[in-house]
Amino acid sequence: MRRILLYIIIGICPALIHGQDLQPSVPVEGATSVGTVVGLGRASQLDTYLSPLSYSGPQLSFLRETFHLTKRANRRLSFQTILQGAFSHTENATSTAYDWAGRLGFDAGWHYHWCPMPALRLMAGGMVGTDIGFLYNDRNRNNPAQGRLNADVSASVGARYRLRLFRQSFVLRYQACLPLAGAMFSPGYGQSYYEISQGNRDHNVVATWPGNAFSLWQMVNVDIPLRRYTLRLGYLDDIRQSHANHIKVHDISRSFLIGFVRHFRLLKKNEREEGGDLQ
Amino acid sequence: MKRYGILILLFGALLLGGCVSEETFEDTPEGNLEALWQIIDERYCFLDYKAQAIGLDWDAVRLDYRRRLSPSMTRLQLFEVLCGMLGELRDGHVNLYCSADVGRDWSWKDDYPANLDHEVRESYLGTDYRIAAGLRYRILDDNIGYAVFDDFSSGLGDGNLDDALYYLRLCDGLIIDVRGNGGGLLSTAERFSSRFTNEKRLVGYISHKRGKGHSDFSKPMAEYLEPSKRLRWQKPAIVLTNRECFSATNTFVRNMQQCPLVRTLGDQTGGGSGMPFNSELPNGWLVRYSACVMYDAQMQQIEFGIPPDIPCSLDSADVARGRDTLIETARMMLRK
Repeated sequence: MRRILLYIIIGICPALIHGQDLQPSVPVEGATSVGTVVGLGRASQLDTYLSPLSYSGPQLSFLRETFHLTKRANRRLSFQTILQGAFSHTENATSTAYDWAGRLGFDAGWHYHWCPMPALRLMAGGMVGTDIGFLYNDRNRNNPAQGRLNADVSASVGARYRLRLFRQSFVLRYQACLPLAGAMFSPGYGQSYYEISQGNRDHNVVATWPGNAFSLWQMVNVDIPLRRYTLRLGYLDDIRQSHANHIKVHDISRSFLIGFVRHFRLLKKNEREEGGDLQ
Repeated sequence: MKRYGILILLFGALLLGGCVSEETFEDTPEGNLEALWQIIDERYCFLDYKAQAIGLDWDAVRLDYRRRLSPSMTRLQLFEVLCGMLGELRDGHVNLYCSADVGRDWSWKDDYPANLDHEVRESYLGTDYRIAAGLRYRILDDNIGYAVFDDFSSGLGDGNLDDALYYLRLCDGLIIDVRGNGGGLLSTAERFSSRFTNEKRLVGYISHKRGKGHSDFSKPMAEYLEPSKRLRWQKPAIVLTNRECFSATNTFVRNMQQCPLVRTLGDQTGGGSGMPFNSELPNGWLVRYSACVMYDAQMQQIEFGIPPDIPCSLDSADVARGRDTLIETARMMLRK
């Protein structure tokens, strides 16, 4: 458990990493991969509490991921954390009103691995996560913004394929997460935040499942070894939706990602004293 | 087979789910009218009440105004038609905004006498009055405090109220003149009125729509006025009202009527008990509409105003002599 907590901390606070760099390009068993990417894309947002119209515009995002292949289950169990943030500025179709949106989310989970062929690794597992965010409309008065808060359990599947080209080892990866059950905050259909602030509660915590909050997170990326670092290029398709309290919400974004990956191995005290045996 | 179970589950969920989207309308005269009609039909909180009170038939309104459309009409002609449709609601909180104009229904004040002469009122304040974040106040010759408050969005804070009430503390009574105050922040109305009660009082109820039906409302939540923990007024006070007292001022008057040492004098308030929300049309025009209903302490509608405890009208003969009938009546009552 302490080790898991450590991986979570590494995922959130890069400055706290202690360990020894491994050679780049592919995850090493027992090592932790830490990937940091930034994304640029477009977002489409609808929140009928604020407006019946969809807004669209650019989105800037970041994603920090840790991936650790544990020794459990005959080295077939991995632990992953994802810290993701996004900020977007969108407008309606007539460019007469603008939305500002931001969110921050953290997910952690385990995957079981199968290796149907030496270069291919299939993964399936589950993740738990939480998101917090806001959507602000610069034109509305008494309903200018929406707060977002949700937590959920997701099913997650993925595949990694190691490809050798030009004497280098590239890793192709696909991963998809589908929230299966959770809870989210939502005001009532016509409920004002003034009422909520006065203590009026009206089904403001809503249970979610794919029938009322179908969301899907998909990412495909390629890791390209470059000397000391590994370059990561990717594409993220992030669909977040809900239909609760008669309020329809969608936040659909598609982004191109670029960043780098580093592989670390956490050393025990005696390994550190011996200089770290990284075979 | 087990290992594929989760994939089957994922695929099933994909089939169950889909894109969450809202019905969209074309940016045409007809599309904009339909979008506006639907926003009001599904979200406006007074359709049932106004069907009873003023005979509003929202379905008939749709048919009536659709007939006034033409594909070749100009932008401002469409604006005029849509504003006419909204005018059927007779609600000062309902507006349509385009770059050239603001559609409005101000019959709640325009159809009634103002009961206010600004020049005469200013003569009571003179030139050496104090100003505390929009609250203008002074002590009149007969030791009656007089405070004019024109705008509940002026940012009146607890420190301002402390200073004003402390300055007026030796007066025999206080006149609070909110005539012409078209509203502002509910929190300011609550903060101000909390200076006039020593105990927690039921002042009204609030309810919001829970669905698209005209009668889909939440259970009304009681609203209480908590006594301020700071300086509170302990002497008689009279609030002067007219038909221009609207929205948050209407709520202020509602709250003050529940305070034991306070009476209201003048004309009925203008109303506006719906808390407004915003929406928009396919062409980008902004719509404002009443979304939450506020009632008085007896669960009665106050959308069309609150009658005063003491009805009083401005006498034109008094105005000609430079006297304000409402202020003079209030002074006389407070001196007794």
